[in-house]
Amino acid sequence: MLLKALSADWLKLRRTWIGWLVLLGPIGVIGLQSVNYGLRYHYLMKKYEADLWGNLILNVQYLAAPAMLLGITLLASLISGIEHREQSWKQVLALPISRLTVFTSKFTMIQFLLFVACTLLSGGTLLLGGVLGFGMDIPWGMLLLKCYFPWLAAMPIIALQSWLSITNRNQAVPITIGILVSIVSMYAAQMPDWMPLKWPLLVNESHIPIYSVITGLSTGLVIYSLSLVHFARKDVD
Amino acid sequence: MSDAFVQTTQLTKRYGSRTAVNQINLELNKQDIYGFLGPNGAGKTTTIRMLLGLIRPTSGSIRMFGKSFPKSRMDVLKKVGSLVESPSYYGHLNACENLETIRRIIDVPAARIDEVLSIVGLTKDAKRVVKGYSLGMRQRLGIAAALLGSPELLILDEPTNGLDPAGILEMRELIKSLPDQYGITVLVSSHLLSEIEQMANRVGIIQHGSILFQDSLEMLQRQAKHHIRLAVSDPRQAAHTISTWGIHAAQHEDLLTISYVPNEQVALIVQQLVQNGHSIYRIVDQRQSLEEIFLSLTGKERS
Repeated sequence: MLLKALSADWLKLRRTWIGWLVLLGPIGVIGLQSVNYGLRYHYLMKKYEADLWGNLILNVQYLAAPAMLLGITLLASLISGIEHREQSWKQVLALPISRLTVFTSKFTMIQFLLFVACTLLSGGTLLLGGVLGFGMDIPWGMLLLKCYFPWLAAMPIIALQSWLSITNRNQAVPITIGILVSIVSMYAAQMPDWMPLKWPLLVNESHIPIYSVITGLSTGLVIYSLSLVHFARKDVD
Repeated sequence: MSDAFVQTTQLTKRYGSRTAVNQINLELNKQDIYGFLGPNGAGKTTTIRMLLGLIRPTSGSIRMFGKSFPKSRMDVLKKVGSLVESPSYYGHLNACENLETIRRIIDVPAARIDEVLSIVGLTKDAKRVVKGYSLGMRQRLGIAAALLGSPELLILDEPTNGLDPAGILEMRELIKSLPDQYGITVLVSSHLLSEIEQMANRVGIIQHGSILFQDSLEMLQRQAKHHIRLAVSDPRQAAHTISTWGIHAAQHEDLLTISYVPNEQVALIVQQLVQNGHSIYRIVDQRQSLEEIFLSLTGKERS
């Protein structure tokens, strides 16, 4: 049933900006970093001499974190906007399909698009490093970790934004919250470890990134379950 | 009782202290066109949303096709097509794609899309993006979407709202053809009696969340008071003459109004009046219109 719902949701993406958004996010981040490296090439090459790839990945990551939070907000809002615009929820939810499936399908779609964006980001990082002539000594583990772990650690925010966007007809609420979260997240590194905004940075006192991922995934799961319960019981107007 | 096609028992929806729908018992039989009638805000849409499982009843129960709802939600909704208020559509997709988003979920053959498009007459515009459709076309697309799953019950909430006269006529003809051609039972809501009168065989009238009347259209029409009006040369004298046979005649200017009497008696009255030297210009059979019945039914609530 979920696959059917997903294939219907996939069709609804046709002729929307959503595909472009997924492409533009990573392109923007890589583009800014290429400007950064292009302008200060000799300085940065000297500064990062010891670990060229590692520092490139860190630099990309530094920009990607707030961009991802903004992307989560926009994706969640655009995907649910498809149903909000002409009040299609009442049509979808009167079909013989459970509300849990409808909600999970939207949630999965957002996850899938974020996964694509993360993949594009790691591809873009490789491409940039290659163009800059960093050689073949690529730290694959670190690259994949820095590209996919922030997405997993951001699960509470993804779940929250999905819930807000899907259940509010007025998208001003989720978008305002999302933008605020993205801005505040730029100062997240100095925040205490319990702060969910800090988790996507994979920084914690123990210096073990997987801890941020585990906390993120489990908190995300809790928020997702709560929003499922709410959505299943909600009156649809 | 229990073999009704759709039946609600004491169905109630409260929002805080406001009761939107109050203990209503709807009963639809198979292949009815059930006209659900009431002024705006009477609780029609709330009832319909409960029938579709979009909102939860505060109390009461619903049975559809012999199954309890929303317990057997999936089984029931498979057999229901709906168009609630404004049509739902995806403006950036064309008509085929719009229907395809639903088809992928309800799992009917792809050929069904062309079928329903031809039923509502949208075949020609099927590849155009729906954003550019007129309201009437969108409404027809909504009906097509409702018909896609070959439903046994079609629930249409104000389907002619916002349509031009030609669109209303088209929609009415389409709805009227459904029970005979496809064996579909239709629940159609409206705030216009004239519209329901031309489609429905059964009528439920709702006001302030309560059902005031539920029966065949015929029964509703039978409630209409019959009057016979006579235009005569000397109404005052004629009224006097008629009253000597025990029939009360009210006089309004040069018209006499008597309550309904059988044909033979009308003939007798005319004969007697003519013999008494009255000239009879006109005899008019006047029935209270359904609008007036409706007003008198709903007016009672108000006082």
